[in-house]
Amino acid sequence: MKSILALVCCAALLPTVGATQDRIVMIRGAHIVPVVGNEIPNGDVIIRGNLIESVGSGLTTPPGATVFDGQGLRLYPGLINSGTTLGLEEIGSVPGGTDTRELGNYNPHNLSLTAVNPHSELIPVTRVNGITSAVTGAGGGLVSGVMTLIDLNGWTTDEMAAVAHLAMRINYPRLPGGRFGGGRRGGGPANPEAVNRQVRELKEYLGRAKTYDETRDRMEAAGETAPTMDLEMEAMRPVMDGRLPVLFEVTTAAQIRGALAIADSFGLKAILAGANEAWVLADSLASLDVPVILGPLTSTPSDDDPYDMIYANPGVLAKAGVRVAFRTNDAAESRNLPYNAALAVAYGMDPEEALRALTIDAATIWGAGDRLGSIEPGKVANLQLTTGDPLDVRTEVRQVFIRGVPIPMTDRHTDLYEEFRARPKP
Amino acid sequence: MTRTLIAALLVITIPAAGQQTTDGWDSDAGPLAVAIPPAGRLVAITNATIMTASHGTINNGTIIIRDGKITAVGPNLTVPQGAEIIDGTGRYVTPGIIDAHSHSMAEGINEGTLSSTAMVRIEDVLIQDRTSIYRQLAGGVTTLNILHGSANAIGGQNAVVKLRWGLPVDSMLFEGAPPGIKFALGENVRRTNNPPRAGQDRRYPFTRMGVEQFIRERFTRAQEYRAAWQAYDAARSNLRRGEAQPIPPRRDLELDALVEVLEGKRLVHAHSYRSDEIYMLLKVAKDFGFRIASLQHVLEGYKVADEIAAAGTGASTFADSWAYKLEAWDAIPFNAALMADRGVRVSINSDSDERARRLYQEAAKAIKYGGASEEEALKMITLNAAWQLGIDDRVGSIDVGKDADLAIFNGHPFSPAARVEMTLIDGRTFFDRQTAPTLDRLMREIEQSKQAVPDSEEGSR
Repeated sequence: MKSILALVCCAALLPTVGATQDRIVMIRGAHIVPVVGNEIPNGDVIIRGNLIESVGSGLTTPPGATVFDGQGLRLYPGLINSGTTLGLEEIGSVPGGTDTRELGNYNPHNLSLTAVNPHSELIPVTRVNGITSAVTGAGGGLVSGVMTLIDLNGWTTDEMAAVAHLAMRINYPRLPGGRFGGGRRGGGPANPEAVNRQVRELKEYLGRAKTYDETRDRMEAAGETAPTMDLEMEAMRPVMDGRLPVLFEVTTAAQIRGALAIADSFGLKAILAGANEAWVLADSLASLDVPVILGPLTSTPSDDDPYDMIYANPGVLAKAGVRVAFRTNDAAESRNLPYNAALAVAYGMDPEEALRALTIDAATIWGAGDRLGSIEPGKVANLQLTTGDPLDVRTEVRQVFIRGVPIPMTDRHTDLYEEFRARPKP
Repeated sequence: MTRTLIAALLVITIPAAGQQTTDGWDSDAGPLAVAIPPAGRLVAITNATIMTASHGTINNGTIIIRDGKITAVGPNLTVPQGAEIIDGTGRYVTPGIIDAHSHSMAEGINEGTLSSTAMVRIEDVLIQDRTSIYRQLAGGVTTLNILHGSANAIGGQNAVVKLRWGLPVDSMLFEGAPPGIKFALGENVRRTNNPPRAGQDRRYPFTRMGVEQFIRERFTRAQEYRAAWQAYDAARSNLRRGEAQPIPPRRDLELDALVEVLEGKRLVHAHSYRSDEIYMLLKVAKDFGFRIASLQHVLEGYKVADEIAAAGTGASTFADSWAYKLEAWDAIPFNAALMADRGVRVSINSDSDERARRLYQEAAKAIKYGGASEEEALKMITLNAAWQLGIDDRVGSIDVGKDADLAIFNGHPFSPAARVEMTLIDGRTFFDRQTAPTLDRLMREIEQSKQAVPDSEEGSR
């Protein structure tokens, strides 16, 4: 069951982020699914430092390389979970370890990366299932703050950061509980007028940010310095410039229309998340090139919607040409990312599209398509060596590589398992 | 008793009506309208891969169903004349999924004002037309154990139902299923995650020690109550001519239920997390001479698996949920497989109308974590759950003589693209994706309505 390969490797190679330039790793004889490009049935990958150096078959083993035997195994890119709270919460019911909700409605200057605990027990649990990168971020209020993309290994937050400033999260106002019973995290206003008021308030806030940004642009052009610095408004400047995308948290078609209207009138670069009713607007989203982050698919549609609506939504969007990615939208369930995609495949999504949504398409949506999401020379060596399709629950992940580092395939759960498996019969 | 009889009558009479629908429901009223499926007198599922959960997998197999019961299963069966045929080519048939922990259909879940509410009954608050019933059918689920909540140490009485969607609620009750009761331990009972509102007192017990003493106290009262009734019955049967009738003990509905537990007539399903509280409850049950039928959640069951197995107690757990509260911090996804390795009969439950829709995906995690066999994993959502509920003589596997409760998948139920195509209960089709209200169907209807009214707005949503 446990691969000898993995055990030997883990003993020999503990993660050594930092001193990486001289590390050479070779994975030999695996069935490579590079996601971009053709599959290589008996393929080799050479990793030097953090990066993939070469991909092919019959490659010569470089001197000093640590070799992983991929015979009978499959090599995929590591998966990207496009929405989590990893590192920001540990035990759900224990408030002392939960940094997912700041007070107040407007916190654009909050950086999620700041509060990521690199040593969270949930991070190894997630990565041993082949998930090598995750978007993580806080979600409170209307403008929650800046989300971040991390690789799931590192001693400090900066070492983990793949894209530190990834997107500004805006929760599009909604009725409490939503149409889909998702009120647990919500806590929005109590009636439709209050929703409209919040939308107005949000637009006014963006208007203020726009004025601030334009004023500061003019002042900078004139060589003037501001008398006082407004950290909140400063944090909104890259958003108003269209450099930092906005992640609009939405559920219904009405919310999506509202978010798109705001993005259009303020010239924002929009990404949608949640979006259970995005299928209604699939063609518009495709023509506007607005990506959609879907999930968790492990939720239930409202009573008057088709029973399979949330499962079938991703397939409809992908078929219409919308770029989609998946998320679990929590911390402890992050490892189950691929099984969200499996539900989408069961209800109509093309399996290859689903794999792309977990890898290269996610990377592209997050502006990291040149570094992450496929097995190509020059890309960051985030890889997983598996016994089969990552979407199949039965598949075992034998070895994970993050930035070229072979990750120990152990976590809190395997430790407890080994401990109690060895308990003598009483 | 009367309820069971009525239920049995309804089950017999309504299917005979065939296409007839009940008052107020119209099968043509739209995709979500409830139509009662006609009774299948003679059904054959042919050429399917049959995962029996009891005796392996049969390739190219046939199942013959007569009057709701499986009468034959195997390869190379002759299909009887006149049978309604369900073509199973390319499909997998499993036993209907049994969820040993649900709160579906219950209008109220927690009567948590007292630390023992053994007198209250979930059966009294079931709602028959919740959409979630249909959604669970669409995930292959056929039987639920609907439990009281976990707010108190001794909770209310459960209801075991079959998801006979469209029938009156009495007809959903699982005829002859042994009655049960919910117990609970740990954080929920202590109410540490739900502190009392201003002005309210904390409810005793507040510690795990207090919970033990509370349970022992209630069963001590139950023993005395039983002794009082036994003395009364004895006095009555030994009554001599001219003697005054003895006075019966005061009837106590809470203790009635606990006496049934003592006598093994009522199954205890005990919500539990930490190994110490599991261990405690097993000892208390042993001291009072009854068996805990199932430990629910039992996330640290792997730490005391030998003790659970020795007690003959089942374990009904989550596949891999963890870290949502402190007592779920040592939860591991290997729990199910490790307990099974140590001889515990394990089921995997949902505790959620959402998770119930994909229990087959959850069961596959027992293969991934701990190396359960495919049949063992399938048992965890079928036969083992049936055993824990005392209904394994009726359901839980594809065997001759059992109820024809079946899930038909588009492929292997543990494969990534697994989807339920049909769900049968008593041989009647309660879910069929061909006629189901799917998103695809809705989109086609929207498209047609747009063509009918050329100026209409996109989507109209």
